[in-house]
Amino acid sequence: MLKIIGFILTLIIAMPVYAIDGAALLKQVDRNLSPESYESYRKLINIEPDGRKKEFTLFTAKKGMDKVASLFLAPASEKGRSTLRLGDNMWLYIPNVGKPVRITSLQSVVGGVFNNADILQLDYAAEYNVEKVEEKGNEYLLYLKAKTKTVAYDRLKVWADKGKKLPTKIECLTEANMLIKTLYFKDIKDFGGGIVRPAVIETDSPLYKGYKSVMIFAGIKERKFKDEVFTLTFMPNLESLR
Amino acid sequence: MKRLFLALLFIIGFTALVRAEEYTFDISEIEKKPYHIGGYAEFKPVFFGLDKKASLFKLKFYNRDEGATLEEYNSTLQLEGSLQKGIAGLFIKTNTDYKKSYLGEDQQTTIYDGFLSLKPSSSLTIDLGKKTLKWGKGYAWNPTAFVDRPKDPDEPEQSMEGFILASADYIKSFDGALKTVSFTPVLIPVYNHMNNTFGDINKLNFAGKLYFLFYDTDIDFIIFTGGSKTTRYGADFSRNITPNFEIHGEFSFINDYKKKFIDGNGNSFEKEYDAKNYLIGIRYLTEKDTTYIFEYYRNGTGFSSGEMRDYFSFINKGYDSYISTGSATLIKKALTLTEGNYGKPNPTRDYIYLRVSQKEPFDMLYFTPSATVILNAADKSFSLSPELSYTGITNLELRVKAAFISGERLTEYGEKQNDYRTELRARYYF
Repeated sequence: MLKIIGFILTLIIAMPVYAIDGAALLKQVDRNLSPESYESYRKLINIEPDGRKKEFTLFTAKKGMDKVASLFLAPASEKGRSTLRLGDNMWLYIPNVGKPVRITSLQSVVGGVFNNADILQLDYAAEYNVEKVEEKGNEYLLYLKAKTKTVAYDRLKVWADKGKKLPTKIECLTEANMLIKTLYFKDIKDFGGGIVRPAVIETDSPLYKGYKSVMIFAGIKERKFKDEVFTLTFMPNLESLR
Repeated sequence: MKRLFLALLFIIGFTALVRAEEYTFDISEIEKKPYHIGGYAEFKPVFFGLDKKASLFKLKFYNRDEGATLEEYNSTLQLEGSLQKGIAGLFIKTNTDYKKSYLGEDQQTTIYDGFLSLKPSSSLTIDLGKKTLKWGKGYAWNPTAFVDRPKDPDEPEQSMEGFILASADYIKSFDGALKTVSFTPVLIPVYNHMNNTFGDINKLNFAGKLYFLFYDTDIDFIIFTGGSKTTRYGADFSRNITPNFEIHGEFSFINDYKKKFIDGNGNSFEKEYDAKNYLIGIRYLTEKDTTYIFEYYRNGTGFSSGEMRDYFSFINKGYDSYISTGSATLIKKALTLTEGNYGKPNPTRDYIYLRVSQKEPFDMLYFTPSATVILNAADKSFSLSPELSYTGITNLELRVKAAFISGERLTEYGEKQNDYRTELRARYYF
């Protein structure tokens, strides 16, 4: 009897050591991907089945949990366009149109596999709850469920490296577990300032057979912005932040 | 050889390519320069099928025989430049149109924008010079755009010429249900050689816009006063009901609006009243990436169907008079009445706009077919414009568009000069 009690006590003491706190792990993954407030330079490349490419270069500013703004720097046809996300609200500003219009997370301002939610990405922990975590060899597999119906993907399956606590692959799924797209995180690079993260995100989708889109980070660094930068009125002036 | 080697080394060092597997990111692409020069060049041939029985055909071609069809070749060069130094920036946008039509060749260069912008902080921007403001939330029409030229609902995304003004934007952000407040005061001087097409001259006008982002809804309150036009008030809103369903609206109230109109014999009348304009619209995106934009526009300053019938009848009378007597007096009077009055885009009272576009059907990236209907809800005449656009080649936009016009006699679209038009637009950005 004493042996059984001793065994149970040992289990109770040992369990918290080995149980994985999914929410804390997801927050750690978020912070390893980027500081909470930062600026970055990215290139998006859409690759068609015949190998043809179209490239877009963006400057992005993010603050806190729910504020992101991006400015298109290239190509010339897109230069000056900007996008803004405040929580669930998203707007697109086109210089010729001259005023911001509301857009949705499922649309894509660049075409191809990346949609607006991918381009104006918030922290995963801001939009998802962790349902469960599994250990798969050298990786964790996190099952995420969207906190609200307004999130672009209802479910995510995130494979994260155990040591680096960085994602290696993310599957984006509908509520019925239908695969929408897969993101592959590659080429871990030191960006300075303690930011060591994948420089390349590739994505493909069963909805776009043969097509591929790639996001390449050229620079990412911690930076504080004023709240007023993330407003409709400031959208035409994002270039002044660079 | 040594020079070549050094040059190669310099180029390699200068471009500092960041390599990531087979992908490259040239750092020079993101270097900020103090100046920028860009723009686009456009070529647009247009083919018109004329409606020889229509009043507006008679008005335009009463003394010419141009056959049943017309060709027109348009070229546009739009140049943009900016210069940034500290908190100050200079911006300029010019538009040069060249047209070759049955009237011969014509070329016109206009400064669309040209202003000095000062940004002492991220909360405050001050602009001085020629600028477009583009107020309002409507896609096809903006009854609250008190300080803009009228938008062409057939090309609502086209850039427009601004007015010379002084404006400021003051922004304040908050936590909570009210996230943003911004205030935009504007001064619009109207004198002999400045903004003289805006309204009555020798007046200094004031306009203001107060914006709120409140409970995830964009809300604007707008005012214009000063004498060049009568005082007017406006409000607009835009909100996402669900992530893929947006609703927007505008309302404006114009004090003492003066409407000039004629009867079927060309007798002129003037009526003064308080005009109410409003617009309500939605934008809906389906799971299959089809976008619907629907708007209803009530133009309180517009002509009734009866007033439009009188106007068309007077043109027909003037044309008949010209044919029978050779006198162009009446038809020239009709021409004068058309400019800036009956000739405005959408001059009547009730309109419905519907645009349906399908993004990248059949997995064809960058290809978007769409169709637009503008219906005069009162007289049931309409235009239907199908179009195909392709943006798959970097910096090149290709668009083929047609417009078919339908309506009974003495209705707005039934009396347009064309039965149909087709056009190709190739626009190259640099």
